[in-house]
Amino acid sequence: MELRIRKLSKTYANGVVALDDVSLTIPRGMFGLLGPNGAGKSTLMRTLATLQEADSGTVHLDELDVLREKDRVRRSLGYLPQEFGVYPKVSAEDLLDHFAILKGITARKQRHDLVHALLHQTNLFDARRKSLGGYSGGMKQRFGIAVALLGDPKLIIVDEPTAGLDPAERVRFLNLLGELGENSVVILSTHIVEDVAELCSRMAIIKDGRILLEAEPLTAIARLDGRIWKKIIDRASLPEHEARYRVISSRMLVGRTVVHVYDETQPDPSFVPVEPDLKDVYFATMSGVAEGVAVPAEEFAL
Amino acid sequence: MSRTLFAIARFELRYHLHRISTWVYFAMLFAVAFLIMCTIAGAFASVNAAVAGSGGNVFVNSPRSLLAQVMSVSFFGFIVTAALLGNAVYRDFETGAYPLFFTAPLSKLDYLAGRFSGALAANAVILLSIPLGLLAATAMPFLDAERIGPIRLAAYFQPYLVGVLPNLVLTGAVFFVLAALTRQMLANYVGGVLLLVAYLVAGSAQDIEDQLFAALVDPFGMSAMDHVTRYWTAAEQNTLLLPMTGVVLWNRLIWGAVALLVLGVGLWRFQFAHAARERGRQARTEAPEIEVEPRSVALPAATPQYGGRAWLQQYLAIVRSSFRGIILNRYFVAILGAGLIFLVMAADQVGKLFGTTTWPVTYSVIELLGGMFSIFVLVIITFYGGELIWRERDSRIDQLVDATPVPNAVRYLAKLSALIGVVVMLQAVLLVAGIVTQTAKGYYTFEFGQYAQTLFGFNLADFVLLCILITLIHVLVNNKYMGHLIAVLYFVGTIFAVQLGLDHSLYLFGGDAGLVYSDMNRYGPYVEPFVWFKAYWAAWALLLAFASNLLWIRGRETGAGWRLRLARSRCSPPVLTGSLLACTLILGLGGFVFYNTSVRNEHTSAIEAERRRAEYERLYKRFEGAAQPRIASVSLEVDVYPEERDVYARGEYRLENRSGEAIDSLHLLLPRQVEIESIDFGRPAEAVLEDEERGYYIHRLAEPLSPGESLDFRFGLAYLTEGFESAISNLRVVENGTFITSEMMPHFGYSPDAELQDDEIRRKHDLAPRGEMPGADDVEARRNNPLSGDADWIEFDATISTAEDQIAVAPGYLQREWVEDGRRHFHYVMDSPMLAFYSILSARYEVRRDEWNGVAIEIYHHPSHGYNVERMIEGVKKSLDYYTAEFGPYQHRQVRILEFPRYQSFAQSFPNTIPYSEAIGFIARIEVPEEDIDYPFYVTAHEVAHQWWGHQTVGGAVQGATFIIETLSQYSALMVMEREYGRDQIKRFLRYELESYLTGRAFERRKERPLLEVENQSYIHYNKGSLVMYALRDYIGEDRLNAALRSFLEETRFQQPPYTSALELYEHLQAATPDSLRYMLADLFEEITLYENRTHEARSEALPDGRYRVRLELEGGKVRADSLGNETRIPMNDLVDIGVYGPATGGATDGPLLFLEKRRIRDGRQTVEVVVTAEPARAGIDPLNKLIDRQPTDNVATVRAADRP
Repeated sequence: MELRIRKLSKTYANGVVALDDVSLTIPRGMFGLLGPNGAGKSTLMRTLATLQEADSGTVHLDELDVLREKDRVRRSLGYLPQEFGVYPKVSAEDLLDHFAILKGITARKQRHDLVHALLHQTNLFDARRKSLGGYSGGMKQRFGIAVALLGDPKLIIVDEPTAGLDPAERVRFLNLLGELGENSVVILSTHIVEDVAELCSRMAIIKDGRILLEAEPLTAIARLDGRIWKKIIDRASLPEHEARYRVISSRMLVGRTVVHVYDETQPDPSFVPVEPDLKDVYFATMSGVAEGVAVPAEEFAL
Repeated sequence: MSRTLFAIARFELRYHLHRISTWVYFAMLFAVAFLIMCTIAGAFASVNAAVAGSGGNVFVNSPRSLLAQVMSVSFFGFIVTAALLGNAVYRDFETGAYPLFFTAPLSKLDYLAGRFSGALAANAVILLSIPLGLLAATAMPFLDAERIGPIRLAAYFQPYLVGVLPNLVLTGAVFFVLAALTRQMLANYVGGVLLLVAYLVAGSAQDIEDQLFAALVDPFGMSAMDHVTRYWTAAEQNTLLLPMTGVVLWNRLIWGAVALLVLGVGLWRFQFAHAARERGRQARTEAPEIEVEPRSVALPAATPQYGGRAWLQQYLAIVRSSFRGIILNRYFVAILGAGLIFLVMAADQVGKLFGTTTWPVTYSVIELLGGMFSIFVLVIITFYGGELIWRERDSRIDQLVDATPVPNAVRYLAKLSALIGVVVMLQAVLLVAGIVTQTAKGYYTFEFGQYAQTLFGFNLADFVLLCILITLIHVLVNNKYMGHLIAVLYFVGTIFAVQLGLDHSLYLFGGDAGLVYSDMNRYGPYVEPFVWFKAYWAAWALLLAFASNLLWIRGRETGAGWRLRLARSRCSPPVLTGSLLACTLILGLGGFVFYNTSVRNEHTSAIEAERRRAEYERLYKRFEGAAQPRIASVSLEVDVYPEERDVYARGEYRLENRSGEAIDSLHLLLPRQVEIESIDFGRPAEAVLEDEERGYYIHRLAEPLSPGESLDFRFGLAYLTEGFESAISNLRVVENGTFITSEMMPHFGYSPDAELQDDEIRRKHDLAPRGEMPGADDVEARRNNPLSGDADWIEFDATISTAEDQIAVAPGYLQREWVEDGRRHFHYVMDSPMLAFYSILSARYEVRRDEWNGVAIEIYHHPSHGYNVERMIEGVKKSLDYYTAEFGPYQHRQVRILEFPRYQSFAQSFPNTIPYSEAIGFIARIEVPEEDIDYPFYVTAHEVAHQWWGHQTVGGAVQGATFIIETLSQYSALMVMEREYGRDQIKRFLRYELESYLTGRAFERRKERPLLEVENQSYIHYNKGSLVMYALRDYIGEDRLNAALRSFLEETRFQQPPYTSALELYEHLQAATPDSLRYMLADLFEEITLYENRTHEARSEALPDGRYRVRLELEGGKVRADSLGNETRIPMNDLVDIGVYGPATGGATDGPLLFLEKRRIRDGRQTVEVVVTAEPARAGIDPLNKLIDRQPTDNVATVRAADRP
């Protein structure tokens, strides 16, 4: 089971280049697609979910041509869009049952059992009779996952599921995602680094429609070992630091500014070494300062 | 007005003025206005269109015509208003921007009033396109210049100011407030529907007694405008602007107040806070959050199924969900509720004529209720068709659904089925409403078969086609509001398409050849073409369904390019085969329909028909004076085949040369599309012209017919029905209820009746305007009578055969009836001279027989239509009583009334034979004879009177001919009715006659003439005739008047040409009128005279002797109108009734007349005093409305007690 994306490009009618020659190979398991807003994540996700056409390139799920044999793909697809609504006056159980029929689960008993199992799994069983209009954001996301999981999908696409969830809901949701099949290709797109850090065995970073990095998170972090330095400075001296060092990120900490800098060696004694994490990988990749770590996607794919 | 408010308003206005859609709306309304003006001003040769208040002598840009045009185009503007004003606040909710505004430092009033006035101003700018479009069109050089009057800017913009703008404020307020309060656009549709209901309710008020009420109830003021302008003559329509007084002003004020009220409620209820709608929801559903880590549950195995059976289940699931989505929608419930209210009101209106209801027979209930309700069905199909297509996207659940393995076709079919299911449900509602209506009205003959056939057969077929079209539009357009707009434009387009010459139902989606139900003949000849046409359109619908399916939006690619590419990839073999099949069916069925309608039959567009008549005139007018023989006797053998709808007629005419010259050529006129089996003149003759196209044939006799000589003309003609037509032209010969007349038989000599009558149409075909009818002194013209141009009094006999179970009737007396070869034969012979004006009817009749002094009375009626047969018999008897006593003997020994199907609604008098439409009288319901006008009785009396006026004395075909025939029949029937029902009924009846006369003259396209010179103008010879004769009877007395009529009749009975004239009748009337009333005679017959009498005040004073003195402040006024309606006030010194009523008892308006006496009344204000013996209640001038007065209601005033000095 493997999803192969080759040279996928998409330009919208308004001239925005959403995908620029994207190639990825995604094996079984949880794959994180990380990128800022507007990077092309959702376009890629929708294309994989058969809801958007690509200008060029190919996508294959094993032998299945995802771009052409859409109906076949949909039979093994579970898709949780970034934004979705529900019929507000319908109960979760009824709507899930409706979706089960749409997914082809027509045997009444089987469907009933499956719907109940999914409601249990997503912890919505007690609220199953409530109309969806009254669901909180997290409950709605979990309902979405229940829909996505109907019919034992081989390809699960989850687009920015944690955006807008409160921390507790987010944890609950990630736990749920963690349960997802080791047997399926699961693609999780997000702009939150922790989501990937916590769940994904493989990942890619996308920006402006291009894949900047494709790697296993641990390997990518290991590559930065000993190259990330930290310094706490005054806000006013940030421009000066940015001019002198390869600053990959800066953030506020109790009124002062913490900068992370990339360098093979300690830039000067005022910097202390830090254990790199996935955030540093992300920022280093995004800022482009760490040319060395950004392995061309092409190379990785082959 | 605060500054903030002004700033918000200005921002809103600029926002709209910078949007392209604003100018698209502007351009569209401009174009509609422009096109309408061009159309009615004759820019398109193939179109003859008119709006209220144009045509004839009224200019297309007359103030009245412009008022009608501006108001009707502004109706389309409501769609714009719904979008614009609805969005003014709603868009903040839609975009989620509302918190930004609500937290800004502005007041609720500033925000709402600012948005409202800004959007309103933008909308007002858009609607300005209507007068501008009309103005621009008027200036176009390609219009018929004679229809355009001087351009008066006020006439273009006044309707905008007093009509369009107030309506905009009202509709804008409703849309604005609904959308702001509910925060849903759909609420607007409901608001729109409710306004529409009020308008329709007002428009449906037929009864004059309700019209004032209707004028106030109509939110758009159109009924009020019609009410004020309804009597305007051509001259007034050309010059007067709508007066902002009276009922128009009241209407505007009332609805202006309603608009303010709505805005006030909006301001009061609007929550300047988080969406109120969500508040309830949140309260309802604070979801239980259970802090439990998700358990890993092993999902049970479920095997997905794909294909056939799974699709069926998916289909059913989507149908169920979509259907419930619609019917549980609260706006659907609201629209349906409005529809039901409307049904209840409509039920009350079932079949009214002269304020009398008919029995609620099934067809009338279905037509009335169904007709009214269909507006709601269309609204629901249009809106919910869009809603269904957009359902997933509106709920933003589309991506979830799109990603499921359900084929587009399953989803499309399911949605379509759900929509159709809703329509079926609505039809069921209609069925229940119909049954309830019938039950409530005490009618228990439930014809479920007919309900089923009509509601779930014919009507449903149309709705299904519409559902398919509407869904395709929404799939194709892929913008909900634009889709709705296009759907509405489609409805409008279908109205105009016919006028634009697209009149073949093969080109109009869902078109057919019409559908009329008759209790006698059921759907008869309409069924076959209906089925074929609908099959043809079903094939189109199939193709549309495939198109919808291919272009179905799934996923995010909505650009045209991608949609086409996706459609191509969806062209699977089954789709291709299906589409090909649909195309084949379209061609096959279309070909079959075309073969039937245009090859076997003739499809004639209106313009072609006009051209043919124009050519007829151009080619043959020169023969008009050519001497022709007269038909002296007619002997017919007619075989009617009702089942096949064929008629074979063989006949023999004796033709006599009564001219002073030898006749060598016979000009034979035959109906078009008749098959000539034989033509024989009994002597050698040669056909020198055979123009089948125009039905004109000339045969030259080898040996001319010398004066005084006669010949026998024999013919055999076949009138055959083949296949079906695009519009059923032959409703004369049907399965049950055949009704053919002498018109279908051969005639001789050029007939000017076939010429184009309307001067505008004549101009289009380069024909000179049609002149006046010959005057009464034209003796040459009086050689013909108006009923037959080629015969005088004839001998007549006819043998008719028909189906064995039918009775066939022709004028004359039945000699023999026999059955031969499974067909029934009847032989009729007339034993006294009669006009060559006869009819042949055949149907399955039930016969009710009676007798009056040796005269047989027979009513031939449809078995279930026995309701009023006794009234008709009574009418015949009472008529015979009166006419034989007052005018002279009846020339026949029999009176027969025969019912014919409701394809035409009139009754017509032939010698001893009166065909009488199913639509008038047979199902009338007269429950309280004192209140309901017994029109079956009245119509019977009128038709029986024609046996005297028309069939004993007939004038020449000159001006005033119908005064003799029709006015005298009206008068005779009035007298019979008065004897039977009393003066109060006549008074009510005459109110209708007055109304018809006054509106009739407003629609006159040529010249209004005095009664003496009437040129077959029905509002004059019927309606004014009744009023005039009744007044004359009142002034000179019934005995004198009848004596005059009797002497006229004696002088002219069965007179040979030249026939008499209205002038000769008038001489008799003059002789019977005392000199003191001669002025009156001139006013009534020689001139167009209108009175403007009114009572300002009536005061009474109790006299010591117990009597009362009533003092009336009166105003007299008398006006003379010319033929265009230009009025001149003339001095008045006339005898007019002064009347005083006692207090009313019971439900009556007026009590008993205490006093009624004629007094000399001058023009202007004056005081009249009378003394009465009992307490007066109401008093005034001409209380019985004997004189023609446009304000009959102000003649009488309530009497008040005089102040004691």
